[in-house]
Amino acid sequence: MIAGKTFREIRWMALAYLLILELLAVPVILLWPDFYPDLQRSTLLRGIDIDWLQRVGVAVSDRNEEIAYTSYCALMLFFRSTNLVGIAAAVLFGTGLFAREREAQTFEFLLAKPVSRGRLLWAKWWPCALCATLPIFVVNLSAIPWSRRIDLDLPLEPLLLASLHAACFVLLFLTFTTWVSLRCRVQAHVAAITGAVAVVQIGIYLTQRIRPYSLFRLADFDWYGPLLAGNVRAAQMFDPFGGPGFTTWVLAGVALFYGLAWRDLRRAEP
Amino acid sequence: MTPAIAVRGLGKSFGARAVLHGVDLDVAAGELLGLVGPNGAGKSTLLRTLVGLLPPTSGAARVLGLDPQRDALAVRQRTSYLPGEAGVYTNLTGAQFLRFAASFHARQQPELRDRLLDGFRLPLRQKVRSYSAGMKQKLALVAALAPDVELYLLDEPDRALDASVRFFLRDVLRDLRAAGRTIVLSSHHLGEVEALAERLVFLLDGRFVADERLAAARQRLRQSPRVRLAPGQPLPAGAREQRREPDGTLVVETDGDPMAWLRQAPAGAIDSAEVGIPRLEDLYELLLQQQADGGHR
Repeated sequence: MIAGKTFREIRWMALAYLLILELLAVPVILLWPDFYPDLQRSTLLRGIDIDWLQRVGVAVSDRNEEIAYTSYCALMLFFRSTNLVGIAAAVLFGTGLFAREREAQTFEFLLAKPVSRGRLLWAKWWPCALCATLPIFVVNLSAIPWSRRIDLDLPLEPLLLASLHAACFVLLFLTFTTWVSLRCRVQAHVAAITGAVAVVQIGIYLTQRIRPYSLFRLADFDWYGPLLAGNVRAAQMFDPFGGPGFTTWVLAGVALFYGLAWRDLRRAEP
Repeated sequence: MTPAIAVRGLGKSFGARAVLHGVDLDVAAGELLGLVGPNGAGKSTLLRTLVGLLPPTSGAARVLGLDPQRDALAVRQRTSYLPGEAGVYTNLTGAQFLRFAASFHARQQPELRDRLLDGFRLPLRQKVRSYSAGMKQKLALVAALAPDVELYLLDEPDRALDASVRFFLRDVLRDLRAAGRTIVLSSHHLGEVEALAERLVFLLDGRFVADERLAAARQRLRQSPRVRLAPGQPLPAGAREQRREPDGTLVVETDGDPMAWLRQAPAGAIDSAEVGIPRLEDLYELLLQQQADGGHR
């Protein structure tokens, strides 16, 4: 019942999120044929003195259109759309999970019910997790038929693996926001804290020397590019020792923040 | 027979601030206990501790024979708790809220629920955000009283309710008690609690006031009528002014029976008088004053 109520509260936001993701994806795919020649001619990205932007420039203007298109999708569908809209949606869903209950003075009502704190957290978290991640799969899989309309192919398995990683990355932000929501009494504070963390992380990512310390290093073009090109296998995604194992690190972050949220909810007082 | 509630030396502190100072309390199964006290006396803290929402700093509590901390879920399955700040979900309709609240307890009392809804006349199809404070309180009350449980812990159930609804609620609670349920309610309306509860305990500054001390204070207040003098009239002989309230009402202390004093007062000297109904605020003030003067505990 708690899960159903949580789902009812976020269903329209989730629908809007799905539509925004799709609306961002479709034009970039359909406009690729016009865009590709311009990219090949342009030296803008390749000329910038930032190594990862140069790599983006080289990849999306590759003479092999399939390679260029896959890189372009890694950039636009994952590095841009998921990181931007997905994280925004995760923060939006998670902000009110507990802080809104405190604001509306319903937190005590909920805590006094015969439901364990662990079940309460799970019942509130999983509908948000589903609404934050499902649209990523739906929209990115819809890129396959859209791509066929411009006579290009996106391979299913790499697309699924990239979507899985993107979903995990969004879950990381959702779970972090859930934890912050438990620690704050006002929704605005949750939004401010999570927003600030995201902005700082982006700032670190955009600063050349400290870029490896940004969370976005785990979900950037340098990760999605090889993943979507089929150069990273599932085992390498999850192997933190043999392969990059970025997905495992992201999932470890999810587990960490979920554990912190569970600990704080167990200790929470009305 | 296991008491519904047994509290021994229960203390609760928030940081350096002690809210409950080792209180003892026994509530028999099937009893209706009234818990009164000023704001900040520790009533809500006590109820929250009983339902396992707050861990005690010292002492122990048993609710229905269970430890509310260790067996919190079992206690809550057999208890229904109405928080003092009875928050309700404003994005739901009244009916949706009641369905949501009912989903937590397997056994409900549909007849009682219908009776409450008939008495409260709530527009269940409307969103709760359109409800007044009183309507929200009524909705929270339906949600709290409808579960079929052994113990009801009600923190200020009469908050924001008008007199007629309070009378109706009084009847409902009496019937629940007659059906063998245990009820503990806190209130600011001394008259309501007195009319309803079999036993009344007074919490002041985190401690229960001894019954004898409470009885003496109430007796003294019965000797202290509240009067409004006619304009320009002095206080008739046989009484002393204890204090004057901002609206001009005098609280006086009579030498003997206050009714006799009122009868002997010159005609037209007193506009209105209230005798024999101690106000909770007066009781607080007197007890606090006694506490400051003589260290009564």
